[in-house]
Amino acid sequence: MGQYIARRLLQSIIVIIGVTLLAFLTLHLAGDPTYLYVSERASTEEIEATRVKLGFDKPLPIQYLNFLSGMTRGDLGLSLRSRQPALDMVLERLPATLELTLFAMLISTLLAIPIGIISAMRRGTPLDGGIMLFAMFGQSIPSFWLGIMLILFVGLTLRWLPISGHKPVLSLLFEGNVEQAIRNIPEAIRFLIMPAITIGVFSLSRNARLVRSSMLEVLSQDYVTTARSKGLKERAVIIKHAFRNALIPIVTMLGLEFGFLLSGVVVAETVFSWPGVGRLVFNAITQRDIPVVQAAVVLFSFLFIGLNLLVDILYARLDPRIRLR
Amino acid sequence: MVNPAISISLKQDVRRPSVWRRARFSLIRAKWPLVAIAILLVVTFCAAFGPLISPKDPNRQNLVLRLAPPFQVEGANPEFPLGTDGLGRDILSRLIYGARVSLLVGLTAVVIGGMLGTSLGVVAGYFGGRVDDIIMRIADVQLAFPFILLTIMVLVVLGPGIPNLVLVLGIGQWVTYARIARGQTISQREKEYVEAARSMGANHWRIMFRSILPNVLAPLIIISSFNVASVILSEASLSFLGLGVPPTVPTWGGMLAESRDQLLAGKWWLAVFPGIAIMMTVLAINILGDWLRDFLDPRLRGAGF
Amino acid sequence: MSKNLSRVVKLSLFALVIVMALPLLVSAQTPDENTLIIGQSVDVGQLDPATINSRAEANIFFHVFGTLFEIADTGELRPYLANAYTISEDGKEWTFTLNEGLTCHDGEALTAEDVAYAFDRAANPDNGFTGNTSGFVLPSIGFQGTRVEDELNVTIITDRYQTPNLRLALISEVYIHCKDAYEAMTLEESAQNPIGSGPYRFVEWIPDDRIVLERVEGYTLREANFQTQIWRVIPEASTRVAELIAGNIDVAANVPFDQSEAVNASGVAEVQAVSGTRRIYVGFQFGENFADAPGYDALQKTEVRVALQYAVDVPTICQTLLGTSCERASSMVNPPNNNPNLQPYPYDPAMAEELLDAAGYPRGENGVRFETVLMGPRGRYLNDANVVQAIAQYLTDIGVQTTVDIRDWADYSQLVRPKEVGPMFFLGTGGGTWSALYDMADLSGPTAGTNYTNWNNSEWFELWDSLADIRDAEEERAVVNQMLEIFYNDPPWLLLYFQPDFYGVSNRLNWNARRDEWIVIYNATLK
Repeated sequence: MGQYIARRLLQSIIVIIGVTLLAFLTLHLAGDPTYLYVSERASTEEIEATRVKLGFDKPLPIQYLNFLSGMTRGDLGLSLRSRQPALDMVLERLPATLELTLFAMLISTLLAIPIGIISAMRRGTPLDGGIMLFAMFGQSIPSFWLGIMLILFVGLTLRWLPISGHKPVLSLLFEGNVEQAIRNIPEAIRFLIMPAITIGVFSLSRNARLVRSSMLEVLSQDYVTTARSKGLKERAVIIKHAFRNALIPIVTMLGLEFGFLLSGVVVAETVFSWPGVGRLVFNAITQRDIPVVQAAVVLFSFLFIGLNLLVDILYARLDPRIRLR
Repeated sequence: MVNPAISISLKQDVRRPSVWRRARFSLIRAKWPLVAIAILLVVTFCAAFGPLISPKDPNRQNLVLRLAPPFQVEGANPEFPLGTDGLGRDILSRLIYGARVSLLVGLTAVVIGGMLGTSLGVVAGYFGGRVDDIIMRIADVQLAFPFILLTIMVLVVLGPGIPNLVLVLGIGQWVTYARIARGQTISQREKEYVEAARSMGANHWRIMFRSILPNVLAPLIIISSFNVASVILSEASLSFLGLGVPPTVPTWGGMLAESRDQLLAGKWWLAVFPGIAIMMTVLAINILGDWLRDFLDPRLRGAGF
Repeated sequence: MSKNLSRVVKLSLFALVIVMALPLLVSAQTPDENTLIIGQSVDVGQLDPATINSRAEANIFFHVFGTLFEIADTGELRPYLANAYTISEDGKEWTFTLNEGLTCHDGEALTAEDVAYAFDRAANPDNGFTGNTSGFVLPSIGFQGTRVEDELNVTIITDRYQTPNLRLALISEVYIHCKDAYEAMTLEESAQNPIGSGPYRFVEWIPDDRIVLERVEGYTLREANFQTQIWRVIPEASTRVAELIAGNIDVAANVPFDQSEAVNASGVAEVQAVSGTRRIYVGFQFGENFADAPGYDALQKTEVRVALQYAVDVPTICQTLLGTSCERASSMVNPPNNNPNLQPYPYDPAMAEELLDAAGYPRGENGVRFETVLMGPRGRYLNDANVVQAIAQYLTDIGVQTTVDIRDWADYSQLVRPKEVGPMFFLGTGGGTWSALYDMADLSGPTAGTNYTNWNNSEWFELWDSLADIRDAEEERAVVNQMLEIFYNDPPWLLLYFQPDFYGVSNRLNWNARRDEWIVIYNATLK
């Protein structure tokens, strides 16, 4: 196991270098970012001076090597726009994005499991049909549109939930302000519901269908029949055998979903004025704030790699047939 | 970082001669897939014959007639049965032309991603070792790289436009295919028929793409049907962020994105018609994908997509 | 077959629903009588007063920092921290006299030394500042240095004379901050932690969410009515308007005009439309690097450029795509400083066709005179992509087959600055109401950074250079009028309009939006 993890970590370094190189080349191939940092009425000399100030006059390989050597020291550079350490800016917004994605995942998995199970148990009934139809629709609505509709109906017409904004919980926890964090929770959930649905409805629908079909499949397997015939209670059968196996596809999705989640987050954060990483990175890209983009990319690849390692270990626990190589 | 689940062996043995016949039977038994096919036929017809059946030039503007409502709603203009948009363009014509772009983007992106991913996956699974390592490391880099950034890269470096959008959406999904094709190939590699081909002196390429490929295709075809739907949705999201196709090209996603300022103003027809078009198409493709999955290989239900 | 299981499932579903419904019972909060909430589409990037990269930053600085003079909403220049100024014999040294008893928010006295420091700090290349102050204001006044005369008098040394309105307007964009406070901070700290000299004190900045300001008690130069200002960031326009109608914000910037009716009908807020000062135009590219581009040769001819002025129905564009009636621009200068003798080109497509026939570009067999390309940005100016498409349609209608090339603003700005846009391009540049010269400075030389078209009319540039020696206002006016006539008759721009701005304002508020895109709101009161 230890050897396995060591090997994986080595691979991760290669991946991180690849990721940063890709991001670096991308942003530089896209043109000279200097023009975004001068006044709209700046003269040619002022533009040239700004280019030198920002370090864009050096050859690209040098710029990249400088970045890499900084990264080994944990220094990902200063944001061109705000002069703050780029990594700090990303970390500062990470809690809000984590709250959103975790809550969305909560909705999309925790709700999907009971819904999928009910649907599988009631296979062929109108309830099953209705759930599956709803799930189909959930997979065909563009998320930004759903978000705006939620704002107009739930937020504005019905006034059930706040239209936009964010109430911090995780960032307070990280600061050690536990009391205030707990006090914020009810309000924070009110702010979370609509954006989380916007991001999560696609996964919710897909996962519900996934759970349903894998439940159906697992329930017809030999070992479930065996377990039943051994006289195990139905609930035990479901929980010990069927449910456990039905979780496998969902765990697979969790690992793969992460990359896709960010683009969903960008949309939801824009629609609901959510102060998270998605918007930060999106703005940084359009402003060619290269250090911030790099910091976010590095951080996200770390998270991605960690999450996948976790998923693989989880796998091995869920399914004894799988051996970690 | 290779996902072990993929290498759970998925046995199948599709007997080709009877596939079409069985498909016909299976289709006739089920109702929904038939409806889905009907919807897709209409969309495909619009896409193919758009210029012939479209009543107007989809880009012809008429500022004075902007935001005309549809049908018989008060203030409607009979010349524009589904109303006009913010520049006074005919919504019906834009919908018909939009079918072309949405389908084109969806299908081509999936074909590009599918072909690229499948070939790389088969190669990686077949040769294993260093080749496998390199291809899978590249796949890891791509997976760890936020997709939205990749999109902007391609659209900015190569410039906006449909070909580049298709390219980036295609590149965005090759990894899924590669991983599955790789896992499937590994499970097929040691089978008797492969050994037989090898002993008969077939070269690597022949074995990979003539012997193995047909046997690993089923799950890939199913995934691609779902991916067509998700690409159509991605195009809409990118339009919302201002990264889609240029505003002169009518697409459903673009129309929906442009409509968002009009929702509060009560100009519902700008959003409803492209919205219905997207939903019906995606729904139809998903239903068809479900059927295809059940038909080709019911055991794939739990395989993770 | 599984009653137990379905009970478990039902229970857990029920529990989830309850958990999600609980927060619904908590009451929502709305702005109280001491708090003013403004919704803008973008956040500030940083808060160092020597670096200004956006309107959003300037709006915050205007409330947190004082300036020597200020531009009133009427366009008139008023004393602020300073109460008087004198100009040296050669016109290059301007000495300002400060009000007595000024302080910064940390309590230290604000004196001549601090004013000098604020200018020098922005100009110091070691600080590496970018943006408006160091990149535009200081070079535009030809800043050389400062001299502290005594406690209250400070001299700004420049290399040229400028007409007072222009110079004072430029100087009123330099935000004054105290030496001791800023010397104690690193550049990293000062970008997060503004220590001001204006009517509001900075409290907190939650990036991409809000900035909170608090009134400075006992500040005498300004009468600030609300104790707290919250500047929220709400990027999506529909969300901003929904918040306004729900009564959660008092002012929403950049309201899409199609939503005006919904806002006005809500009974909660009204939309204010103001005629802005930003000049929107289509530039004709004269640069040689476009020599092979379609339509380049035709557009070099003055007659063709004049003909195209008649082809575009600007009033209709304003009415339908900008949601307001507007007067078409007759020059690059904002009224009332424009040349009153010049009449805006009317919409007259027949005239345009006639002139094009005469210029040697008759319609071909397919009805096309010549083909060309119009480039434009998306997401920068009011309804920009749609206006660009509409202009292309008007040009195509008179036989100038125009293809549209629309880019994301980040890409577009990278093409505009090195002048790599053409043969026609859509652009808007900020202007002012205080001086014609400020607006004309776009074309301060054939190679000036802001002369995006590479226009090279020698008459114009000779007259521009002659302005440097004129100190008499009437004489200056005559030259300006002459120059604007040259611009009118040999147009490097297809003249369009001054961009209107739309603000949604809560009915509980007495406040009028300004023309120049500044949100100045300390003076707002409750009704």
